Amino acid sequence: MFQNTKCECGHQNPVGTVLCESCGKPLDEALLKDENALLEMRYDGVARRSQKANPHFVDRIWNFFSSVKIAVYLIVITLIGAAFGTILQQESTIINLTERSEFAAYYKEQHGTFGVIYHALGLSRTYESWWFIGLLVMIGTSLVVCSLDRVLPLYRALSKQQIRKHLQFINRQHVVYSGELTQDKQEWLDRFAKELKRKRYRVWREDGALLAEKNRFSRWGPYINHIGLIVFLLAVLGRSIPAWHMDQYLTLYEGETRQIPGTNYYLKNDKFTLDYYSDEELASNQKGTKVVKLYETKARLYECTDACDDPTREPVLTEVKQHDIRVNSALAYKGLKVYQNSFQEKVRFISVHATLKDKVNGTDIGSFDLKMNQPEEEYKLGEYTLRLIDYYPDFGLDEQTRPMTKSRDPNNPAFVFRIAGPGIQDRGEVYVYFPMPSEKSKYYETILNESFKQRGDNSGRFSIQVDNPIVDGQMNNIEYSAFTTYLNIRMDRAMPYVWVGAAISMIGLIMGFYWQHRRIWIRIDGDKLALGGHTNKNTYGLRADVAGALGKTRIEVDPKTLDNRRNER
Amino acid sequence: MGRYRKPVQYIILAVVLLIGGYAIGNSLFSKSVVLTKGDKPPGFRLADLNNVVHDMEDYEGKPLIINFWGTFCPPCRNEMPALQHQYDKWKGQGLELIGINLSEDKLTAESFIRQIGVDFPILLDKDKKTERKYGLKQYPTTFFIAPTGEIQEVVIGGVLTEEEIDKRIERLIQTKS
Repeated sequence: MFQNTKCECGHQNPVGTVLCESCGKPLDEALLKDENALLEMRYDGVARRSQKANPHFVDRIWNFFSSVKIAVYLIVITLIGAAFGTILQQESTIINLTERSEFAAYYKEQHGTFGVIYHALGLSRTYESWWFIGLLVMIGTSLVVCSLDRVLPLYRALSKQQIRKHLQFINRQHVVYSGELTQDKQEWLDRFAKELKRKRYRVWREDGALLAEKNRFSRWGPYINHIGLIVFLLAVLGRSIPAWHMDQYLTLYEGETRQIPGTNYYLKNDKFTLDYYSDEELASNQKGTKVVKLYETKARLYECTDACDDPTREPVLTEVKQHDIRVNSALAYKGLKVYQNSFQEKVRFISVHATLKDKVNGTDIGSFDLKMNQPEEEYKLGEYTLRLIDYYPDFGLDEQTRPMTKSRDPNNPAFVFRIAGPGIQDRGEVYVYFPMPSEKSKYYETILNESFKQRGDNSGRFSIQVDNPIVDGQMNNIEYSAFTTYLNIRMDRAMPYVWVGAAISMIGLIMGFYWQHRRIWIRIDGDKLALGGHTNKNTYGLRADVAGALGKTRIEVDPKTLDNRRNER
Repeated sequence: MGRYRKPVQYIILAVVLLIGGYAIGNSLFSKSVVLTKGDKPPGFRLADLNNVVHDMEDYEGKPLIINFWGTFCPPCRNEMPALQHQYDKWKGQGLELIGINLSEDKLTAESFIRQIGVDFPILLDKDKKTERKYGLKQYPTTFFIAPTGEIQEVVIGGVLTEEEIDKRIERLIQTKS
């Protein structure tokens, strides 16, 4: 397609120019047909940067992203895609499952055939899927390319505007006035310019022509908004960098300290509290029901300062933060946030204060603290020494009726001690001790100690027990955890950038929405005065400006009559 | 600006390709922790029962079996003697065998090992860290690692008989690094 892009004023315009860059005469064929139609003033009629007569392969890609139509399609497709992700629960919100097969089973069980299809299509991971990320990347590209292609030519056009415009350009604006000028031309122009300056217009003049302009910066609003959106989008994509984003769960029983996986931090649960509203505090229709008042984990955060990677030593921890984690009150430390997520009511022994008794004399030899996790291997009680020789946290018997532990949790701990001291055979005496005050545990304890006695491993002289294990229905001399707390640990290093992006975007929106770019052109040919005005929004305001300034210079007009569209309506 | 138009275009498209490629690639190859044949096993540094540190790197270039076990897991207990027998048979030919205990108390692991009479290194995992690195789902899990450093086979669950172990060791030894 051949297109003559040279204007009658002698200016050579790029392909795709709608209005001559110099004098403003319409060049576009559609605009030339009807001389009374309003001008298309988008981007001041300049060509988009990438519009070319013979696009190259890379130009074609560039042009694809440069199209606003494509951008709208991309946004609509992304919206529809994002909506699919809201139909069923997303995989990332399901704790405990990690494998594809586990998720597949979960969706099948929860949602039947639909769940199977949903999972098979990958919609259970919509927001991490390649196509969704791909759409976001494409929207980002479109934002950059669209903006660049339009803002640069627009900037150029607005920074070197011709003052004297083509008559057609002036007469085909939204706001127009034309008439005879009976007064002195120069004097009238001076006064008109002064009036506009009072309304904070910037005025340029060139013999018999005038250009007044106000709030040009408002035109940059959308582009600043786009910069903000790009920062926002990059920040969102940045969350896929492993070190930038973390979302995991940690379970802690009371008194337990565990490392937060993938970090140098350790977290301790001092106490978990579950509190209900009392009947007085509840509304009449809720009385007698259990309504939770408080979920709270008293937590301590530690940082490892030494022996962090040394498997032969316990890590050296330094407390860095203490916080009572409640719903909506997370522990926060250097970008790390720990939220209360859930809890489980489960009794777990932490340690017992046990006493070694001499049954023959009926005396107490001494007492000691026995931990269920990594117990000490030796205890000195007066003249006697207790050596822990075996430990089964969850006592049971295997197929060959050998003692074993059924799990790693101290559900029914059993300790085997070898006692040495005065009046005991050289190889010591062996006793088993079950701290759980349950019948079954005590039964095992009796049976086993009896069999040791028969083998000659002990004389039955000693016993280990907790004094007064239950006082007023409460466990005594026993330290235990009543609850296990589930904490959600999050880190989002991208968040500050998300906020910055959002702030920039907001600044751009405000610039574009609350100010308008207004321009007024005047051209006097002999006695004929031609005035045209353009604004990107709020033509009422511009018409009022023009009518006001004309009125002050003794040309009385009704603002409404300045509307160029009056003929059409 | 006009002069730089083309380079700018190319730079922007290249940046888009780079960032976009990274982001999309990341989502395509979402990391699954389950190890299979041909994978390189993750490294570890763990203490044994004598508090001596063993590093995965110490075993590079040797045929290696890593057995994850716990005293709470009956099949783990049952296959332990078979592993010990096979270790005795093959250690002369350079076979290395490591048992990684599943984060139990040292005493619990130690007393069981003493009963069985195991003399290959038993390493103690802590807070399930290594177990998680290896993506374990069931116990026991045994990794057969060729001298090339690649996993040749993963046996999940079940009791391995001596013949089954023997057959696999032979294959390991034959794979040259």
